[in-house]
Amino acid sequence: MFRLGATTAARFASAPARNYATLREIETRLKSIKNIEKITKTMKIVASTRMGKAQRAIAASRVYSSGDKEFFEVSETKAPEEQEKTLLIAVSSDKGLCGSIHSSIAKNARKKLAEIPNADVVTIGDKIKVQMLRTHADNLVLSFNGIGKEAPTFYESSLIADEIAKLGSYDRVEVLYNKFLSSVAFEPTYVDSFTAASIDASAKLSTFEVDEEASSTAAVAQYSLANTLLAAMSEGYASEIAARRNAMDNASNNAGDMINKYSILYNRTRQAVITNELVDIITGASSLG
Amino acid sequence: MFRQSLRSLARVNKFAGVRTYAEAANSDVLKLSLALPHTAIYNNKAITQVNVPGASGEMGILANHVPIVEQLKPGVVEVIEEAGSTKYFISGGFVNVLPNSKVNISTVEAFKLEDFSAEKVKTLLAEAQKNAASADEAVSAEANIQIEVLESLQAAGVH
Repeated sequence: MFRLGATTAARFASAPARNYATLREIETRLKSIKNIEKITKTMKIVASTRMGKAQRAIAASRVYSSGDKEFFEVSETKAPEEQEKTLLIAVSSDKGLCGSIHSSIAKNARKKLAEIPNADVVTIGDKIKVQMLRTHADNLVLSFNGIGKEAPTFYESSLIADEIAKLGSYDRVEVLYNKFLSSVAFEPTYVDSFTAASIDASAKLSTFEVDEEASSTAAVAQYSLANTLLAAMSEGYASEIAARRNAMDNASNNAGDMINKYSILYNRTRQAVITNELVDIITGASSLG
Repeated sequence: MFRQSLRSLARVNKFAGVRTYAEAANSDVLKLSLALPHTAIYNNKAITQVNVPGASGEMGILANHVPIVEQLKPGVVEVIEEAGSTKYFISGGFVNVLPNSKVNISTVEAFKLEDFSAEKVKTLLAEAQKNAASADEAVSAEANIQIEVLESLQAAGVH
């Protein structure tokens, strides 16, 4: 019992010293949280200003890709059922701090690869590349980076489509991207980029007059791959910007909450330290007198 | 008096409503979408006729045209509306005409014909012709494409 009393006494004795230390600690922590809040707020503002541009890009690219889409609908083009040689193009970007944008693509890509283990994978963006390398390094055949800093352009998507065309022919090409639903929601979506063979095999291609000499279905397929990629990249870009804005908004709010909590703690601790010092001074003075 | 004016107002509205429905159902109207990757010049707009530079030759498309898919060369797309016609120079692309009198033209770049400078075209053409004779195959191939585009620009009558 005495021993117990001694330890508590020792703890009390060291208490003021610990208070001084925590006061300093709280102060530095408070400062760093304030700095983080500044950064997240700025990132949120940057994302907000880019949002308008990204949404305009999406509206234009939706009209642009609707031309191809309507043609495929009327001609009833379908992807082949048996998946012998499949190419999966996962579209994401290089930068993080945007919620679950990259991980949702990675999750869906892994699910797809569990169904078709021998599919080849092309990644657009460093984040998705790293994720794919971790689990399916053997499937990865090609990757691109440096995309998604600005709204994607047709020049970028056609360069990518050219590189992909060099990989050889596939029975089925699928593009995985984040579809932009609203400024708070996105959805990982697959879209087929039809190959020349599947366009040739369309049920109602005979509805259209195709001048065999002047334009081939291979050219249509190549052009539509670039278009599909552009649409996927614009949707992904807008989703990413929206997700980043939301993530940074949440981070700023959380930082604000923490700043409030820590300022109260800081003031309370400072008060306690002052009270302790006063007690010391008064006790000292009264013992002298 | 008030009642009467209210009734005539209602009648006008009803009439307007009926007309839009009739228009939508009418397949004799040609609908055009002329879209670039970064902007849409026409989006499902009713027009009279559109002339396009097809790879197999120039063609005019009116309402109820047979469905086609065709690659486009660099050349002039002429959009004829009731108010008049507008000419755009496009860099090539695709046109598809759907069974319901809808035309989709997708191209990478398109500008109004009057926005081009004839002098600039001339100097660029001279440069491209010089490059076409280059020993480097890639350079000469690129120059040949440039010549094709610039010559069709000149043929389109850029002043």
